[in-house]
Amino acid sequence: MSDTTPRGLNDLIGERRDTALLAAVVVVLLISIVVASLGAGGHPFPSALGDGFPFADWVNDGEQWLKDNYRWFTKAIAGAIGDGLDRVELFLLVTPWPVLVLAVALASLWCGGLRLALFCIAAMLFWGVVGMWDSAMETLSLMAVAVAIAVTFGILVGILASQNDRVEAIVRPILDTMQTMPSFVYLIPAIFFFGIGGPPAVLATVIYALPPAVRLTNLGLRQVPVETIEAARSFGSTPLQVLLKVKLPLALPSIMMGVNQTVMMALGMVVIATFIGAGGLGYEVWQALRHLNIGWSLEGGLSIVFMAIIFDRICHALSASRAGGRAIVGDRFRLLPGWLEDADWARAFERGLGAVCGFCGTASRRFAQALAAIAGAAVRPVSRAAAESLRRFIARHAFFAASAALVAIVYLVDSHLVSYGDFPRAWQLSIREPADAALDWLKVNAAFIAVTTWIRFVVFTWFLDPLADFLVALPWWYTIALVTGIMWLSTGRWLALMSLAALFFIGAVGLWETSMLTLASILVSVFLCFLLGVPLGVGMACSNAFEAVMKPVLDAMQTMPAFVYLVPVLMFFGGNVVSAVIATCVYAIPPIIRLTNLGIREVPAETVESARSFGSTFLQTLIKVRMPLALPTIMMGINQAVMMALAMSIITPLIGGGGLGEQVFNALARVNTGKGLQAGLSIVFLAIILDRLTQAWSRKRRLSLGVQ
Amino acid sequence: MTIMNRMGKWSLLAAFVVAMAAAPTASHAAKGLLKLHEGDWTGNLVSCKLIEIILEDEMDYKVKRIFLPGGAQVFEAIIAGEIDFACEGWPSYNPIKEKYLKEYGGDGQVEMLGRMGVVGASGWYVPRYVIEGDAARGIKAMAPDLKTYADLNKYSAVFKTLETAPKGRLLACPVAAWECKDAERAEGLGVDYVAVVLGSETAHWAELDAAYSRGEALLIYAWEPHWVHAKYDLVEIGLPPHSDDAWPATDWPDDPTFNFGSPELKEKYPAVHQLLVNQNLSNTQQAGMILDIDVDGKDLDAVVRAWMAENQDVWRAWLPAGT
Repeated sequence: MSDTTPRGLNDLIGERRDTALLAAVVVVLLISIVVASLGAGGHPFPSALGDGFPFADWVNDGEQWLKDNYRWFTKAIAGAIGDGLDRVELFLLVTPWPVLVLAVALASLWCGGLRLALFCIAAMLFWGVVGMWDSAMETLSLMAVAVAIAVTFGILVGILASQNDRVEAIVRPILDTMQTMPSFVYLIPAIFFFGIGGPPAVLATVIYALPPAVRLTNLGLRQVPVETIEAARSFGSTPLQVLLKVKLPLALPSIMMGVNQTVMMALGMVVIATFIGAGGLGYEVWQALRHLNIGWSLEGGLSIVFMAIIFDRICHALSASRAGGRAIVGDRFRLLPGWLEDADWARAFERGLGAVCGFCGTASRRFAQALAAIAGAAVRPVSRAAAESLRRFIARHAFFAASAALVAIVYLVDSHLVSYGDFPRAWQLSIREPADAALDWLKVNAAFIAVTTWIRFVVFTWFLDPLADFLVALPWWYTIALVTGIMWLSTGRWLALMSLAALFFIGAVGLWETSMLTLASILVSVFLCFLLGVPLGVGMACSNAFEAVMKPVLDAMQTMPAFVYLVPVLMFFGGNVVSAVIATCVYAIPPIIRLTNLGIREVPAETVESARSFGSTFLQTLIKVRMPLALPTIMMGINQAVMMALAMSIITPLIGGGGLGEQVFNALARVNTGKGLQAGLSIVFLAIILDRLTQAWSRKRRLSLGVQ
Repeated sequence: MTIMNRMGKWSLLAAFVVAMAAAPTASHAAKGLLKLHEGDWTGNLVSCKLIEIILEDEMDYKVKRIFLPGGAQVFEAIIAGEIDFACEGWPSYNPIKEKYLKEYGGDGQVEMLGRMGVVGASGWYVPRYVIEGDAARGIKAMAPDLKTYADLNKYSAVFKTLETAPKGRLLACPVAAWECKDAERAEGLGVDYVAVVLGSETAHWAELDAAYSRGEALLIYAWEPHWVHAKYDLVEIGLPPHSDDAWPATDWPDDPTFNFGSPELKEKYPAVHQLLVNQNLSNTQQAGMILDIDVDGKDLDAVVRAWMAENQDVWRAWLPAGT
C-alpha cells in the first residue's frame, strides 16, 4: 500500500527537510484557525445526510431477527462454556489453598528460579491475606477458560493470516474493531443470547483479548527468514511440514508474547465483566466502590495486579528459558539483587542458599531414581521396553517427579490427616485502613489540593477548553477534507477513502460534535502523556536503578483496574473533564515510558561512543543522537497511548468525561443496541484513523533514518 | 461422613460434577427454585432480602441470588429467563420501563408486580454548613439566606467552578439515562447554573464526599431513602411543587417503587407472585435497616432477620392466603 504514496511527501521526509514539513504544518494550522474563527458554529453536519441513513434502526431490526432465529445456537455455546467454567471453578475452589500455592511455586521455581517462586508465593498469599481467596479463584477460572479459548482461536487465525495476504487484510480491521469497540455495546444484548454471569463474561473477554494472539502469531510466522524456509523446501518438505516443523517453532517467542498480552488484556476485563453478573475480584472492586471504600477496592485491584504479574513473569521466564538455559542454575545470585555482590554477608547468604538448593536438587534426583526403579520394576512384567523407557523418563524429569510427589503429599495430608480448611482468618491483614487514612489526609491537605487545583486550571484553560472549542468550530467539510488529505499523503489512497467514509458515518449518525469533544480530550491526554512520559522514559534509560523501580509501577498502572483510581482522581481533581483526562493519562502513559526507554537503550553503543569521541557531552549525545534515533520507537509508544486513551474513553464517562462513551452508556440504559453501536463505531473509526496515521509516521521516520 | 473423608475430595469432586450434570432436573427439591435479582443499592438489598427469607423459611422455596448492577441489564435478564423477579424498581431511574412495562406503555415482556411501598423522593440539596456555617470546623456561612431555588441566583458565584464560571454548578442527577431532567429544570426555573452530570452514582457521592470534607460549597441532586443523609448533613432547597404541566421546571413527582418480574411468574408460582404484589414496606421501616447496614456496618442478613423478628405483623400481612 505504501507504493501508492505520492512521492512528494516521501521525498520531503526522505531528505529530512523537516523544516519544510514543519512550515507546512504551521501553515495548515493557521488556515484552520482562520477557518474555525470564520465559520464558528455556522456549519453543523447537515441533518439531511443523516435522515437517509437510519443506521440504528437497521441494527435493531437485525438484532431482533437474530433473537428470533439464532438463540438456540448462542444458548448452546453458552451452555458449553458454562459447563467448562463450572468444572474449572469447582476444581480451584475444592483444591486446598496450600496445594495450589505449592503447585504454582514449584512451577515458577522450575521456569524462573527462586526469586520468581518467592514472588509467586507472596502474591498468592496476598489473595488470602486480604480475604479474597475465593474471589481470586473465581476470577482465575474465568480467565483460564477465556484465555484458553482466545489463545486457541487466536493462534489458528494468526496462522491463516500469515499464509495469505488477503486474509490478513480482512482480519486486521476486524481485530482493530474487537479491541477498540467498547464492550458495553455488546454486553447488554449478550444477556439475551448468552445469559448472565460466566458465559457472556468469557465471550466478552475473548473478544477483547484475542487480537494480540492473532497479531503476534501472524507477525512471528511472517518474520521467519526466507532462507530458512527455502532450505526446508529444498529438502522436499511440504508446505504443511514447513509450517509445523520450521515456522511455528521459530515463531514461538513471538507467539508467547501474544499469549502474554492476551492474558494481560483479559485481566483488564475483570471489573467490566461484573456488569453482566460475573463474580470474583471484579465484584469485590465494584462493591467497594459502591461504598466509596477506596482501601477495599485497592485490595481487589492489587489482587488483580498480582494475578497479572504472576502470569506475565511466568510467561517471560518460559520464553526466556527456551532461548537460553533455565535461570535456576548458574553462579549468579539466586535471591538477592546483583548489586549486593560485593557484600560479604550477601555472598555468605547466597552460599548457604546454594547449599540448600544443591541438597534439594540431590534429594529430588535420588527420589526420582528410586521412583523410577519402583515404577520400572512394576511395569517390567508387562513389557521390558516400556519399563525401561518409563524408568528413563522419570529419572530424566527429576524435578517434575519430586514436585508431583510433594504436591501429592501436601494434598493427601489435607484429605486424610488434617484439613487445611479455608485460608486462616488469623493471617488476615488489611491495607484498607491505612489506604483510607492516606486518602482522607490527602483530600483535605491544603497544599496538595492547591497543586491539583492548579493542574486542573492549566489543563482546562490552556489545553482542553481551547482545543475542544477549536475542533467543534471547524466546519465539518473542512475537517473531513483535511483528514482525508493527510491520510492520502501519509498512508495512501485506500485508507484515505476509508477514513472519508468513516468520518461521513460519524456525521450522518449525528455524533459529529460529540466525537470532536472526545477527540479533544484524547489529544490532550496523549499530549500530557508525552510531556511526562518521555522524560521518565529517558530517566529509565539512563539509570538502571530507576528502571528497576519503575518497572513494577508501570505493570501496576497497566493492570490495575481503572475503576480503582477513578474515585481518588475525582476526589483530588473534582468531577469534571480534567479528572477524565488525568485518569486517561494514568492508564495510557506506560507504553510511552516503556518505549522511550527501549528506544534509547536500543541506540547502538558504537553510535553513542563515536558521538562521545567527537567531544559531545552526555546531554548533547542524548538530545542530538540518542533521542532522534529513538524517535520511531517513541512514536510507536505514542501510537499505543492513543489506542489506550481511546479505550479509556468508555470508562471516563463514569467520572464526568462525557463524549462518545457517555452516548454508549445512555444507549445501553435504554437497551438500544443500534445507538450504542453508532457511538461505539465512532470510537473505533477515530481509533483506526489515529492508529494508521501514527504508524505511518513512525514507519516513515524509521525509513528516513535508515533503520528497519 | 467417614466414608466421605476416606474417598477424599477428588471423588467428591467427581461426584459433584456428575451431580451438576443431573442438577437441572433433580435439584428442585423444594417447591421450586427462584432466581432473584441482587442489586447494588442497599434499599434493594433490604427489600429483596425480606422476600428471600420469607420464600425460604415460610414458603419452602429455594432462592438463588443473581448480582447485576444497573437497571437495563435486569430487565433484559428477566426477558431472557435468567432472573424470575426483581425488587424495588425505581420508575424515574429506569427509562427501559417504557419499553417493557404495560403500565408505562411498554409491550409487557416484563410484568410490574405492584408497588412495594417505598416511595422515592428527589431533590436539590446543599450541605448545612453552606447555609449556617460550622463553627467547630471553622467554616463560615456561604449562603446564609438560601432557602429555595429563587435564592440560588444570588449565590451563583458561591457555587461556581472553573468549568462552569460565571455560572454556578449544579451537580445534577448522576446518570444521564435517569430521567431527572436537571438541565431542563435549571433552565425552566431560570437559575444561572450548569447541570453537570458525572455519569455514575459512585462519582456523584465521591464528589460530595471530597467537597464536604474540605468544607466547599456544593449544590447537589440527591434522593431519599439513601445512606448519604445519615453520613452528611444535607439541607433540601425548596422547588415549586410538582405539576405535570410545568414539568420539568418543578419538584419531582413521587417515585413509587415497584417489584417486577417475568409474566410467567403468575402461572408458574402464583403464591410467589402474590407475595411480591402484597409486599408493602414503608420508607421509615426501610430507612432504619439501611442505617444499620450502611452507617453502622452491620450484616445485611442479621439486620433484616432482627427487624423481621420484631415486626412479625408487618411482613406476615404480605403472605399469600394459605401459607
